[in-house]
Amino acid sequence: MAGVIDGYVATLRRELEFEPALARRMAEEVEAHLWEAAEADPAWPSPDAERRAVARFGLAGEIAAQFAVDAVNRQAKRTWMMLLATIVVTFIAMRLRVMWLADFGDAMSALAPLIDRYAFVAALAVGALGWFAFRKSLLPLAICLVTLVASIAAGILRARLFVDGAPMHVLLGAAGEVALIGLLSFHVVGLARRLKRTATLRRIG
Amino acid sequence: MLKGHLDAIVLAALETGPAHGYAIIEAIKSRSGTTFDLPEGTVYPALHRLEQAGWLASNWMTQSGGRRRRVYALTKSGTAALADGRKAWRRFAEAVNASLGGRTWPA
Repeated sequence: MAGVIDGYVATLRRELEFEPALARRMAEEVEAHLWEAAEADPAWPSPDAERRAVARFGLAGEIAAQFAVDAVNRQAKRTWMMLLATIVVTFIAMRLRVMWLADFGDAMSALAPLIDRYAFVAALAVGALGWFAFRKSLLPLAICLVTLVASIAAGILRARLFVDGAPMHVLLGAAGEVALIGLLSFHVVGLARRLKRTATLRRIG
Repeated sequence: MLKGHLDAIVLAALETGPAHGYAIIEAIKSRSGTTFDLPEGTVYPALHRLEQAGWLASNWMTQSGGRRRRVYALTKSGTAALADGRKAWRRFAEAVNASLGGRTWPA
């Protein structure tokens, strides 16, 4: 029959599954803690001593929620750093396009630079506002992601990368933009998942 | 209110030397005269957070009974963070004392 401490450790491990390495480490660390606490109880050895050790330790869901909040903070920091890198590379790529690409004199040549520029400015403005006022919120990051995708897509269309080709440095700039926007999307999705998990743990904790 | 200062309290508990989670909790309880009756488990997210920040380092050690324990120790930057935490707490405590005592702070 599984004891009180074994049951508690299994529950905590399950709650921490969002970070498997952390779950394994905490299971071992917490188990040793609980046995030491139970052995120090006057009623040891008994299920009551185990029960009291577990009760003093706190609810597994609440402890997992605290770890989840820290994971959200770390992920938010990484995502904002990735956004900053994407904005810098997008700006450089945009300047390269302005300097090196000819105006083809068609509607796309007129419209794409406007979308490229103003979507970028919108991303910059929302990013700055989000950094100062809503750093742990997903919304400014999602808006930045969408506007940067629009800016990069317009820039690639303008460069006619797929039709006429473009100078190598413009191609490299575009490749950098696409790679970074992919990484940024990955981080934003990761943050959304962690926020959802934290909210769930807080509800049941 | 205690939660906001838990990191500094944990750092202070490790000032005398490396310790595992259970010993840290016992030290906190003993130093506070059992005033801080926080759930013991709350110390582990704090330990993990402080380690991620580089303020603590940790290692597995095997005790005489064969049980493995994760032992935490202050790093150099953790010692500096503890000094900063103490300064911040003194300023805050003096300001609260002055406010509750009807004085103006700083005098």
